Amino acid sequence: MTYRQRRALTAYAFLLPAIVYFIVFFFWPIAIELWASFRSGQPLIGKSEFAGMKNYLYIFQDKLAIKAISATMIYALGSTVFTLLLALGLASILAGPLKARNTIRAILFFPYIVSFVISALMWKSILDPYTGLLNAALLKVGLPPQYWLTDPDAAIWVLVAVSVWKDIGYAVLIYIAAIQGIPSHLYQAAELDGARRHHLFRDITLPLLMPTTLFLAVVIMIASMQEMALPYLMTGGGPANATRLYSLHVYETAFQGLNIGYASALSFVMFLLILLITWVQFKLLNRDIRHV
Amino acid sequence: MSKSQWLQSSALALALGLTAASASAETLRVYFNAGHAYDTYLEAIAQFEADNPGWEVQFEKFQWPDLRTKLVADFAADNAPDLVATAGGWVPEFAFQDLLLPLDDLAARDQAEFDFPGDWFDPAIAKNTVNGKIYGLQIHLTCATLVYNKDMLAEAGYDAPPTTWDEFREVAIATTKPGVFGFAPNSSFFYYWPWVFQNGGEYFDTETGEVGFGSEETIGAMQFLADLIHKDRAAPVPVAGADYEGPQKLFTSERAAMILTGPWDINPIRTGNPDLNWAVAPSLSNATQATVQGGVALAIPKGAQHADMAWDLAKRLTDVEVEVATSLQYSMTMPRKSWLADERVQADPLLGQFGSCLPYSKDVQLPLTLTGKYDPAVDAVMRQAVEEVLYSNEPAAEVLPVAAEEANKIIAAK
Repeated sequence: MTYRQRRALTAYAFLLPAIVYFIVFFFWPIAIELWASFRSGQPLIGKSEFAGMKNYLYIFQDKLAIKAISATMIYALGSTVFTLLLALGLASILAGPLKARNTIRAILFFPYIVSFVISALMWKSILDPYTGLLNAALLKVGLPPQYWLTDPDAAIWVLVAVSVWKDIGYAVLIYIAAIQGIPSHLYQAAELDGARRHHLFRDITLPLLMPTTLFLAVVIMIASMQEMALPYLMTGGGPANATRLYSLHVYETAFQGLNIGYASALSFVMFLLILLITWVQFKLLNRDIRHV
Repeated sequence: MSKSQWLQSSALALALGLTAASASAETLRVYFNAGHAYDTYLEAIAQFEADNPGWEVQFEKFQWPDLRTKLVADFAADNAPDLVATAGGWVPEFAFQDLLLPLDDLAARDQAEFDFPGDWFDPAIAKNTVNGKIYGLQIHLTCATLVYNKDMLAEAGYDAPPTTWDEFREVAIATTKPGVFGFAPNSSFFYYWPWVFQNGGEYFDTETGEVGFGSEETIGAMQFLADLIHKDRAAPVPVAGADYEGPQKLFTSERAAMILTGPWDINPIRTGNPDLNWAVAPSLSNATQATVQGGVALAIPKGAQHADMAWDLAKRLTDVEVEVATSLQYSMTMPRKSWLADERVQADPLLGQFGSCLPYSKDVQLPLTLTGKYDPAVDAVMRQAVEEVLYSNEPAAEVLPVAAEEANKIIAAK
């Protein structure tokens, strides 16, 4: 055995635990799920038979699934866009010489470290139309109460707002780090050329933050597409299935409906959808920007 | 003895000790609903362990959705527990998948000492029977009925609770005032069905093989509720959510004069507002007097490692003395005839009223579940339609028939 072969063998030996881990806990379950998605009956828990593409084709007839896809897209796009816009604005302010910036950063980051279950239950309690704090405050100042979680048109946007509240601290921190990494001589040179403050932001900060924006957009979008805890705990998917997000639909199909084959097909469609959206995000946002 | 010899001897002794311990200890795995882990059951479990030296009960508690998720995953991994508490409809569903053990042979063997199914109410047997075999041992049998605030009704001029829909509407309007609703409806799907049943409607018609959701009776029931909310302004729009405590909280805080609920809310109301002057009324009538039925059954999975011991524990948990103690302490209604006949139960006014609703109560999804074609997507479609009527004030006559058609398609595809 040559030296190179021995080195390669040693490297693979060190990688082996991780490879085994990924095969056993990631790729094997994915393979099983793919197999189940082509079965009807009770794959995994009982008798089943090969069903070809039947489960995949049924998705197009499943009005609940279509509604869930639509609600999930609104939720994911809303969460991503609003989180990025607000985080970018806040990071631009907090990266500067603000007195209370560390305190504000800590306050913004706090929701991110609170458990999702606690956040959801807290907001559910605050937004309750009859016993919630928010409506009590509105009544106190003479405004009419709002039916935050009982209005099918408003409920999904309430979930978006809670999601933004939860994730914004993380996005702000990443943006601040990225802004502070931009060399100051670029701004100085532009100022010498007569650039104004908004020019500096538009022509230097924003383009150089593109890799960070891409990273955050991909991470937040994927997490939002897979969101289940928030609608499960806050609205149960209602009212009128307005907040029945895709993951909740998959969960109910699999574990409440015992329709494992169809739920597996739904999961694979979601996987492909996320893959497609991530690819589109890379195409739109990936700019090879370097500064020297 | 050198240090290495001492280490070797210690390791050997430890290994032998562990082997001996694992050989003598047997574990009975039990999944139970977290809200039902009553002291009376824990005492029965402790007695089981005392009577069976070397046995330990691994009592795992979950909320219903988590319990079901865990159970389904366990079935997939061939790692089912020995005994499991199941919510309404689960027993026939799992029995159809051949995942549960029939209890007939065990029951026949112990007939002399344990009168099952003879001492159980008929509905408690019917909901656990698939193709002539019994797969579940009912441990709770409950129903939801009208609960009212006596002071609020008296203040509005009523000294008795309503008995019909017309009276109910009148009382709801009369007791409504700023910040207080005459009636607080529940957003949980289960709670819409008393109205449908009282109006003569059905969840599923076994003769036609279709849901009864588009019928005139169901439409009339949902429109009655919608009008109570939007026309009479005597009820709030129910708050969508995974829990069903909202109306109970409004009732306990004296912001609702009437709610529909079951015995599970007796303790929260009593502890939440000990001074509240309230009572339980018989269910309302329109076309007929009816309400919904719930409950819990114990089942032994087919893959259980200790089915005999699981059956032994199940018998202890459903013993009449345990049932009476549980119902008196935790206000739960029970499925045994001898429980209802017990003097202590008869003497409790709240338990007695809830118990009196059992004869005319109905399991909502059972007719469909017993065909093996139940799918929660059917409920999701119906729930969406009901919520469009109640939340957005869409006409029930337009929304419900469309949803019924969609629900029938889902059933036909099963």
